[in-house]
Amino acid sequence: MKLSRRHLLKGVLQGTAVSLALPPLEIFFDISGKAYACGAGLPQRFGLFYWGNGNLPEYWNPDGEGAGDEWALSEQLSPLASVKDLITVVSGMSQKTGNLIPHASGVAGMLSGAALQVYEDGRQDGTFAGPSIDQTIALEIGGETIYRSIETGVLPGTSGNSYNGPNNKNPPELDPYAMYERIFGPTFREPGEEGIVDPRLGLRRSVLDGVMADITKLEAQVSSTDKARLDQHFTGIRELEQRLARLEEDPPNLEACMRPDAPEAEYPEIEGRPQISAVHRAMSDLVIMAVACDQTRVFSHWFSDQLTNKLFPEVSAGHHSLTHDEPGEQPQVNQIVQFVMGELCYMVEQMALIEEGDGTLLDNMVMLCTSEISHGMTHSIDDMPIILAGNACGRIQQGIHYRSHTGENVNTVMLSLIRALGINAPGYGLEEGEVSNGLSAIEV
Amino acid sequence: MIRFQSAGFVLCALFLASCAEDSPKRVSDDVREPLDIELPAPVLRRLNQAQYGRAVHDLLGEDVVLPTSLEPDERIDGLRAIGSAVTTISPRGVEQYEQAAFDLAAQALDTKGERKRFLPCLQDNDFPDPCIEGFFRDFGPRVWRRPLTDLEVDRMTGISIRAGGLLGDAYEGLEFGLAAMLQSPNFLFRVELGEPDPDAPGEYRFTDYEMATRLSFLLWDTIPDAELLQAASRGDLTDAEGLEEQVDRMLSDDRVEDGLRAYFTDMFSLYSLDELNKDPTVFTHMSPEVGPAAREETLLGILHLVQDQDGDFRDLLTTRTTFLDRRLSSIYGVPAPIWDGFGMTEWPKDHGRRGFLGQVSFLAGHSHAVASSPTLRGKFIREVLLCHMIPAPPADVDTSIPEPVEGRVTMRDRVAKHLEDDYCAGCHSITDPIGLGLENFDGLGHWRDREYGTTIDPSGELDGAPFDDAWDLAARMREHPDLPECLTKTVLSYASGRTLSDGEWDAVRYHAEGLEAEGHSFLALLRDVALSPAFRNTGGQP
Repeated sequence: MKLSRRHLLKGVLQGTAVSLALPPLEIFFDISGKAYACGAGLPQRFGLFYWGNGNLPEYWNPDGEGAGDEWALSEQLSPLASVKDLITVVSGMSQKTGNLIPHASGVAGMLSGAALQVYEDGRQDGTFAGPSIDQTIALEIGGETIYRSIETGVLPGTSGNSYNGPNNKNPPELDPYAMYERIFGPTFREPGEEGIVDPRLGLRRSVLDGVMADITKLEAQVSSTDKARLDQHFTGIRELEQRLARLEEDPPNLEACMRPDAPEAEYPEIEGRPQISAVHRAMSDLVIMAVACDQTRVFSHWFSDQLTNKLFPEVSAGHHSLTHDEPGEQPQVNQIVQFVMGELCYMVEQMALIEEGDGTLLDNMVMLCTSEISHGMTHSIDDMPIILAGNACGRIQQGIHYRSHTGENVNTVMLSLIRALGINAPGYGLEEGEVSNGLSAIEV
Repeated sequence: MIRFQSAGFVLCALFLASCAEDSPKRVSDDVREPLDIELPAPVLRRLNQAQYGRAVHDLLGEDVVLPTSLEPDERIDGLRAIGSAVTTISPRGVEQYEQAAFDLAAQALDTKGERKRFLPCLQDNDFPDPCIEGFFRDFGPRVWRRPLTDLEVDRMTGISIRAGGLLGDAYEGLEFGLAAMLQSPNFLFRVELGEPDPDAPGEYRFTDYEMATRLSFLLWDTIPDAELLQAASRGDLTDAEGLEEQVDRMLSDDRVEDGLRAYFTDMFSLYSLDELNKDPTVFTHMSPEVGPAAREETLLGILHLVQDQDGDFRDLLTTRTTFLDRRLSSIYGVPAPIWDGFGMTEWPKDHGRRGFLGQVSFLAGHSHAVASSPTLRGKFIREVLLCHMIPAPPADVDTSIPEPVEGRVTMRDRVAKHLEDDYCAGCHSITDPIGLGLENFDGLGHWRDREYGTTIDPSGELDGAPFDDAWDLAARMREHPDLPECLTKTVLSYASGRTLSDGEWDAVRYHAEGLEAEGHSFLALLRDVALSPAFRNTGGQP
């Protein structure tokens, strides 16, 4: 039997001894349920919106706790005013997985629920011990669409942190036009149209069969570590093969789906600055329509990376540099965070404009918006910035601010989200990060 | 936990245990012949983006347009060469390689002229199966860098004929066979598995064809040429004499320039200069072209020293010769040697700049966006030039540098707390005193005598010994005993695609001695490594 990553995960999760000497992907959660759909036959979706270098907690955390008028948006969250009732702000949560390496530890802890897997000789780089939250979820709810997940990014140079497993990242697409071509190019079919009839699709699948045979043959000859790497390659090939087969089927029939307009072919820098807002909005529109067309049910949108230094509008240096070099109250850092929140607001607004069933796209999904740290200057992983948009078909609270006064584990939020998506998981996270209860305050 | 090869060098381990250790010392003085070292299992390396592009050009011609987006390269343990043996191909990467394979195959076969080059036996659109089979039998070994088995030839032939029949165009059919080869792991990965060594029972060596690939990527950063594959087919590359002949041929070939550029780009992380980011209000000379130009200056200097002159590589640190374009000349404040492109020039005798440590690629690449950084510069010198390990800064401290205020305006004064506070000084005392010697160069590499009106003190300390200024530092670095060993270690890691194992320390020492004996010629080191048992042999598969 071909041991896929999915099989592998399940095997480990169910406690089966995996005798193949593959590097063990650790237990993230036990899975026995199936994702259930929202009303009107609409699928559940998950999104991740990430920006690097955190916030300024003093200007971030809202006053008041609770629902409605019981809390007010803070200065850094003020750009989200128009969607305040559609989001939930969670503050005061802590990562429990350690902070050994600035930024890198926070990324891994926040997004994989486990400590950064550092190399033993103390090198300053490391990798995730297991899949990132988007992929953990995609393994469960991403199997029926053309794309198991899609990854997009905004700031030039962003490499994202969507991990399938150790040393296996899903690089984001940064070019809106390439993204458009990929999802809505010649192979895209609108609802009501028929699948593609082209002998080339079948021939390409035959070619991929041959490539899989090459991989299998090679796997028998290499070390266990390399076997695991080839297995990932194999998984990618098989997914592409399935994707080609799905193109021959009639496309998903969702009422909100329509082919979007093509974005600009290029977004050149203007006076040394990337057109961040234009790129972000073009990319957002494509991501949202990809979801509305059920091309994917899981996306991760990487606004910027930790350590990103490309120039944001009107500021004098890169975000990361400013978090360390800007004196005093750091007005420029503040300005950057607010700029990112303004862009997040655009994305949430657009999701809320897409009508689906009795509600909107935003009602049939949940988007986790976060960063790897809180206070950029000190690389703190306490009091993490977390915003949730959407309600996952009525399973996640909207319009509240929950503040933890005891520095609860961020992974409780993750577990609530996983369960809200209909995945039956007894726990989430590893070692110090492990939790078996969600955060009830955000659950419905 | 996945266990990675430990860096192994005891000196690094010591260093890591506490930053406050004295300067590193050699562990042992006895140099053994590295013939009996225990080698780890071979690793599977993915072609990086540059190698993929060069391989495709070698195979299909310089005219084919390369894909713009492929699986990204990742730096691990200081080298992308190691990253390529650790990372894998993502689902997105699979999609991109598939698309690229068909695009490239179509480019190669869709015009009449190109078709003829690949398929001389073809006439119009009606060609016999043996012609297709012959194509894969002849051309396939160049793509996969080894002969194809009959089964593999049959498979490529079969899919091509089937596709040709279904699509009514034999050439289009052939694109499917070619695209199948180009997205196979046999093309995308360097498959080097080893075989039992017939001359040494229980030991493993790389096969002839594997040696061809190892040599061509090490020395030319691309796939083997026809002659190298022929040498492999004759069994020359597992034979000491035959190997030597090929290595000497390759080292005297112009393509060694590609190999040198690839190596030093990786060792010095020069690719990151594409993302060089400076505050344009502080550094008015800054533009997006500065980073790439600075990289070219460094590489041209290295090529001049290593390839043209076959000189002492340590001169890289002290040479007065460099290569500038107009843009860099204006940053350095010297007349441009040439109107267009890069020209060779010499720093005036009284100019404060010497060698690599006076170049923008290093000085700007290891500074902040708004200011210089004695810490980042010192860290690069320690880690990359001397192979000393510096632990990451702790995550929970305020790392901001105090703003200049009255009485504390220079960078030296501003970072002084790094050295006054015991907690910080543990590590900063091994980086900052080196970097402080380069304070006459601002965050972009522009010369300055003063900072906010205060005269800069350019003195510093290297391993406890004080030095006067950047010149003095360069001269001392040139003579640093760890310099040749570090270069050797990095070359061996690069050649093997992995962090070296403990046992390979002997090989490092051995080759470092050889390097010294050869007048510190980098080409001699490459030759020595290419001919060495550590490069020709491998551990078995576990």
